Formats: sequence, C-alpha cells, structure tokens
Amino acid sequence: MAHAEGPPHPVRSEPFYWLLFTAGGGVSAFLFPAHIVILGIAWAAGWLPDDALSYERVLDLVQNPLTKIYLFVLIVLPLFHAAHRIRYGIRHELRVEENKHIVASACYGAAYVGTAFTLWVLLRI
Amino acid sequence: MSAERRSHPVYVAPIPRFWWVRTAPFRRFVIRELTSVFVGLFSVVLLLFLLALSRGEQAYRGFLDWLDQPGIVVLQVITLAAVLYHTATSIQLASQIQEVRLGGRTVPRHLLMAAMTGGLIVASAVVAYLTIEL
Repeated sequence: MAHAEGPPHPVRSEPFYWLLFTAGGGVSAFLFPAHIVILGIAWAAGWLPDDALSYERVLDLVQNPLTKIYLFVLIVLPLFHAAHRIRYGIRHELRVEENKHIVASACYGAAYVGTAFTLWVLLRI
Repeated sequence: MSAERRSHPVYVAPIPRFWWVRTAPFRRFVIRELTSVFVGLFSVVLLLFLLALSRGEQAYRGFLDWLDQPGIVVLQVITLAAVLYHTATSIQLASQIQEVRLGGRTVPRHLLMAAMTGGLIVASAVVAYLTIEL
C-alpha cells in the first residue's frame, strides 16, 4: 500500500533530533552530576575552598577557548535532550495529540534559542 | 500513518489519558522521561551562571548569592536526584542495547555497567579537579 502512505522516502528531521537527544542524554548523564554537586550544593554548603568560585578564577578558566567549547557542548546538547523528551512527553504521557507540529516547533525552537544565547554569552566573556 | 488514509476501518482501543500510572514499570518509565525536565533546568542554570559572569563581578556575586538560598539548594538536590536516576537508567539501558565484543567474546553486561560507572566517576573527578583545584 505504498501509494497510500505518501512518498517512499519522506524528508524527516527525526534522526537529526534523535542524535542530538542521545548525545545530550550522554553528556548530562556523565557530566551533570559533578556540576550540580559543585555549583548547586557544595558552594551553598560551604564545602568548597574559599576562592574556588571567585570571579577572577572562574573568569580566567572560562576565557580559555577549550573551556568555552566544553561549556557550549555541556549546555546545548542537554537542551536538545530535554526538548525532544518534553515533545514526546506532551504527546505520549499527557496524550496531547492536537497541534503536534506546534508542540515540536516550540520545544526545538526553545533549544535553538538557548543555543544562540549560549553562543552569544560565551563570545562576550 | 493517520487513520483516514486507510481503505478499511481499523479498531483502535481507547487509551486512558494517564495510562502510565497503572503499573510500576510504566511509572518508572515516566519518571525517567520526567528527568529530562531537570536536565533542561540545569542547562538553564549553567547558562545563567555564564550570563552573570559575562556581566561583571557584581552580577556574578549576585548569582552566587542567588545559589545560596535554601529554596534553590533544595531544587538543586531534587535536580541531582533526577539526573542520577537518568544516569543509572541510561547505564542499565546502554549495557542492555550495546553488545561489546573483545577477543571474540561478548563482554558480560555487569562488566559493561561497571565500566560505565567507572567512566562516571572518572568524569566527575576530572570536572571537580578542573573546577576546584586547578
């Protein structure tokens, strides 16, 4: 019934987003825990050395181009991971079948905005 | 594959809206999906951290004070729990899907899981060393 199912090889963006989703899943699974503990918990709890997060030290670290590339990957890929899962969470878990193209555009669109914003911020540091 | 393209009617069983609350495996699956919200949230926290850094010392200090609030720390603890659940289930999943062959033998699944857990520990140690010590 190929004639009833549309073109045999439709142009699909799914593999591209699935790749970003998987990569973002891996990055967040292996790198996020340490960052959450350091920035989110250890700093407030006072477990870090006094100057560990000092402005001069962190600025110096982030101004290194390698750090910038690392931070870009660290922030952007998990954004696409979240966007992809939230897209299908809305469709399958919340069972909202209507406006699925708008939902997809909103989710990935937010990730693209986040990507542009991350790039802009990193270039200004 | 929309129903209107079919030449004959097909019965589709109705699915309750909250189909996943009924059994424990479904609930665990949805919790795993839900962890992505916290993943996205922490990406935004990192982005705000860099934004504050780019705006100068005063803005940066303001961000660190924001992180110091009890409510934000509680949120970060919940985020950590969610991300660790994502990490643990990802390791289980990857070791199930990916067959690794070494010297003509299949590496046992528990060894793959141990290797990935080791990877997590090494990655965390490197991140901690680079952010705190260096």
